[in-house]
Amino acid sequence: VTLADLPPDTLRRQLRRQGLRLRIGPFVARVASSMAAIETSLATLYAHHDVEPGQDGAHFTLRVDPPRTLRRFVRRQVQVTFDGHEPFLPLPWQMAAPMLEAALNWCVGSFAHRFVVIHAATLALGGRALLMPAPPGSGKSTLCAALMCRGWRLLSDEFALLDPASGTLQPIPRPVALKGPSIALLRAWSADAWLGPEVDNNEGERVSYMRPPLESVRASATRAVPGWIVIPKFEAGAPPIVEAMSRARTVMHLADNSFNYNLHGRNGFESLASIVDRAPCVTLRYSGLEDGVQTIDRLVSKSSR
Amino acid sequence: VTSKVRAQHGLQLLLRVLRNRDDLAGLTPADWDALLPAAEHAKLSARLAADAEHLGLADGLPDWARDRLISSHIRGNEFERLVRWEIDRIHRALLPVGVRPVFLKGAGYLAAGLACASGRVVLDIDILVPEADLARAQAALVQHGWQFEPLDAYDERYYREWMHELPPLRHQERGVMLDLHHAILPRTGRLQPDSRILLGRTVTYGGAAVLCPTHMVLHAAVHLFYDGPPAIRDIADIDGLLRHFATAEADFWAALVRDARELGLARPAFYALRYAQRLVGTPIPTGLWTSVAGAAPAGPVAHLMDALVDASLHAGTGGVAALSSFALFVRSHWLRMPPLMLARHLVRKAVVK
Repeated sequence: VTLADLPPDTLRRQLRRQGLRLRIGPFVARVASSMAAIETSLATLYAHHDVEPGQDGAHFTLRVDPPRTLRRFVRRQVQVTFDGHEPFLPLPWQMAAPMLEAALNWCVGSFAHRFVVIHAATLALGGRALLMPAPPGSGKSTLCAALMCRGWRLLSDEFALLDPASGTLQPIPRPVALKGPSIALLRAWSADAWLGPEVDNNEGERVSYMRPPLESVRASATRAVPGWIVIPKFEAGAPPIVEAMSRARTVMHLADNSFNYNLHGRNGFESLASIVDRAPCVTLRYSGLEDGVQTIDRLVSKSSR
Repeated sequence: VTSKVRAQHGLQLLLRVLRNRDDLAGLTPADWDALLPAAEHAKLSARLAADAEHLGLADGLPDWARDRLISSHIRGNEFERLVRWEIDRIHRALLPVGVRPVFLKGAGYLAAGLACASGRVVLDIDILVPEADLARAQAALVQHGWQFEPLDAYDERYYREWMHELPPLRHQERGVMLDLHHAILPRTGRLQPDSRILLGRTVTYGGAAVLCPTHMVLHAAVHLFYDGPPAIRDIADIDGLLRHFATAEADFWAALVRDARELGLARPAFYALRYAQRLVGTPIPTGLWTSVAGAAPAGPVAHLMDALVDASLHAGTGGVAALSSFALFVRSHWLRMPPLMLARHLVRKAVVK
């Protein structure tokens, strides 16, 4: 059963009581909330995701609600609790949906050590994956959303989950976060893209989430092998420039962008090295979305020949 | 099931499986759903993962439970690696200036090769050095990249004048915290175990010095009620130490009683034995209770402590638990400072926070 199949009152009841158990890639997230904003946000952005039957447990148990402090009479806020504890500071209540997404990111970063977790947008074409490991602000989510609209399968705009045993990448498709000018860019890029309402996030930027396509969510269990690594860097006004990066420097770049490769010891290092054995790496400086996407298309068709 | 009910159930289950590991085999998915967060919060999830693996349970568990155990296990391995590396780095800083640090708590358990150290969450490393070496040790550590965390004037004075340790140090590159002690209890406290006795009987494993077995247990005992209600992890440590040394060391129990008296720590030792047995069923020889009877508090006090400990642990959240926890918190500070100083300290902490 997908979330879209769930009658609205069933969704509301589950959210208010025991929590809605959403299958997100390899994880089950149990989300409880009494907030209408969370209900709407889940119903739209996660419409294609499966709802797990029964009342079993979950990888991550989150509750999104206004904090029960005296402050609620002065200023409306939202608080996310994890496993009944409060690892995050409360935020203004309009930020409920971004806060839930941030909390889910935190869960993956903190409790998904079964995988080597790399901060990277990841997409697949055929059985091969494109990794775009980069810090925030590099435009990786924007490029990711644009490629997704051109037939690439979304694995994640945030995480590459590398299985150290098999060297394959596990999808974890979730809404793609678009910030600031990227929102208008993507609306113009594709008429089919479904974007949620714009809200301010904690850093004072406008953010809107784009729903992952049905095909990507349906293929959540289909892993991909590393095929290409592109390190994107948005640079206003620059013509697209592609430069090869050595395997050694690429491993270091992956390590810098990894949440937990150190936890895996030698295995972690060798997992990262196994990626660069399979996937050539380039840096890509770009200013226009069309430029960026076309450059990546050329790289891919060249190496697939 | 509300989260409060789940939290209480988890705490009960955690105590039950610490008492009897085999009970893990009979847990339902709903039990695991309650136990996993409780173990995580108690910093015992790696221990739980090791126990589940020992019983061969992983394959029969729901994916979410199995994945969380695997994740905890992997993180636990990293703590071991991290502590071994920190021991190496601290030696590199201190041995050349003639200071041989004694590794306390988690780092000490790991250096001594104790099973209870395996996968133990370690957030800081604690070392003990002779007070005369303190300045030299501090200078050498700073030279090797450790820095004092910025403190306000009050906290600075709190540490330097009243406490048994320097303000926490953090390594600039690795971020790991280091607490440099010259005693195991504050200067201002009623209990003043002589550090010279502790330093005089240390044991060395693979080059790393640790407290001798009885002192290790006594140190864990003084920290059991150090900051309020006993943390389940501290109970689990004491349980692990007692079970290990009871079989590994000849005449361990008699030595424990003797050394507790020598250091003036008979009361904390009594509490540690009592609550380890009461909460997780640590086997204590029955004859021992008569030899520590003199250290037991007066009847009503013992009952009050039992009630406070039970309430603070069992109710989990809620008003009674909070009140009991606060009572134990005040008691812990009562032991650390004279009354007037305590009153000033609590008022200040209440106002500042």
